[in-house]
Amino acid sequence: MARDRGNGEDYGRPLRRLLVGLLVLALLALFLVWRIDSPRVERLRAEVADAVVPRMDWVLSPVAGLVTLAGDFRSYQRIHEQNQELRRELQQMRAWREAALQLEQENVRLRDLNNVRLDPALTYVTGVVMADSGSPFRQSVLLNVGRRDGITDGWPAMDGIGLVGRIAGVGERTARVILLTDASSRIPVTIQPSGQRAILAGDNSYYPVVDFLESRESVRPGDRVVTSGDGGLLPPDLLVGRIAEGTDGRLRLRLAADYERLEFLRVLRSPLTEAIPEAGALIVPEGGVAPPAPEAVTAEAASAGALGEAAPATPPEASGD
Amino acid sequence: MTEMGAWSGRVLYAILALALLTAPLLPLNTVPRPFATPDILLAVTCAWAARRPDTLPVLLVATVFLLADLLFQRPPGLFTAIAVLLTEWLRRRSSLLRRGSFVGEWVAVGAGIAVAALANRLALGLLLTPQAPLGLTLIQVLVTVAAYPAVAGVAHLALGLRRPAEGEVDARGHRL
Repeated sequence: MARDRGNGEDYGRPLRRLLVGLLVLALLALFLVWRIDSPRVERLRAEVADAVVPRMDWVLSPVAGLVTLAGDFRSYQRIHEQNQELRRELQQMRAWREAALQLEQENVRLRDLNNVRLDPALTYVTGVVMADSGSPFRQSVLLNVGRRDGITDGWPAMDGIGLVGRIAGVGERTARVILLTDASSRIPVTIQPSGQRAILAGDNSYYPVVDFLESRESVRPGDRVVTSGDGGLLPPDLLVGRIAEGTDGRLRLRLAADYERLEFLRVLRSPLTEAIPEAGALIVPEGGVAPPAPEAVTAEAASAGALGEAAPATPPEASGD
Repeated sequence: MTEMGAWSGRVLYAILALALLTAPLLPLNTVPRPFATPDILLAVTCAWAARRPDTLPVLLVATVFLLADLLFQRPPGLFTAIAVLLTEWLRRRSSLLRRGSFVGEWVAVGAGIAVAALANRLALGLLLTPQAPLGLTLIQVLVTVAAYPAVAGVAHLALGLRRPAEGEVDARGHRL
């Protein structure tokens, strides 16, 4: 087509087409390599996110801050209403606090009697949520802690109250948390008080599905759901949420963590973590694989006196039973 | 500035693409939504390819979409390849499109986006990759196509991305 461009382009056209073809082939090859050897390309993805997202932080945090500020400003309009609500809640919380204090004292006394030593491996690293998944099809967040903080794939992440997700993809300075709502998230849970085991399966909705139940009759909406610790995947007895019945009749989960505001997340140093070093090495030996001990971080945690228990993550009622 | 030079067009596209890569990463909404938002990055790239293909280098498109694939947790490479093919197709048709009305451009871009989404799903399905629900993809295609006139309008008015008239020449006298 002589009409398009006068000069030079006509010689370049077949060459250009060839180069574009090669580019497309290279991209498709990358996709195929990802499909065949996913862990390696996923590691590349984590490295790219690690290199790019912290550099975007200077715009990410102020803009996110401004939008949150605008949202807060809008909430001033119903400040009186909120005030009343908060007073009522505070009244209830005072009662809870009293109960919690009493239980704590009792716990301390009982522990003293039993000479219990808490597992020092269950400490945590707190990270700030830097970025969203960026896609309506995936549910994950990027934290500002990574390999240099000793984060390992598979560790659970919680907000102050409940389980939020698991680490999947660690860069030097960032780590990705796959949320429980993501369509690829599956975790083993126990339903209290019936003790039923089930699998919590994310399906890209706010309420993940409780699947593979043995007897549905013994489970009621409102039952507490905690992690079961099966398969060494997650530590047992982390609060996940409460059972609710969906409009379609399936059992779903009302998550305990506040997904509306994921800001600070605790990554628990789980002693049992399955590791997938490379493609094909998916099966983990019985009992799991211990993560590499990051000396610097453990030392720092010890000096900060962070050797706590996993228990502060659960509400007072949990320590009662 | 009424007429965009080749370099200012490239730089403008690069800046816009960076902004559009950053915006969805803002940690504002971590609750899953039952609807999908339009893929503005794809719409902007299509507008550029249909209107001023001379200011849109292939390598820039590939870089931007590969970065998007990696950052947005998509299978890396596949949608980049599709986007490159889509822009090449629009590039080849751009001289035809500029003679028609805007509706013609809209139809071409809309068909291109729909075929791109379909090809993406087909490739993922062939390789048995887990993928998003069909409904969500359809919603995304529809809202992206619906958003195209707005994107093109903003690009036309605010950024000067207009369709060159017949026989228009650039600063050095080359035909556009």
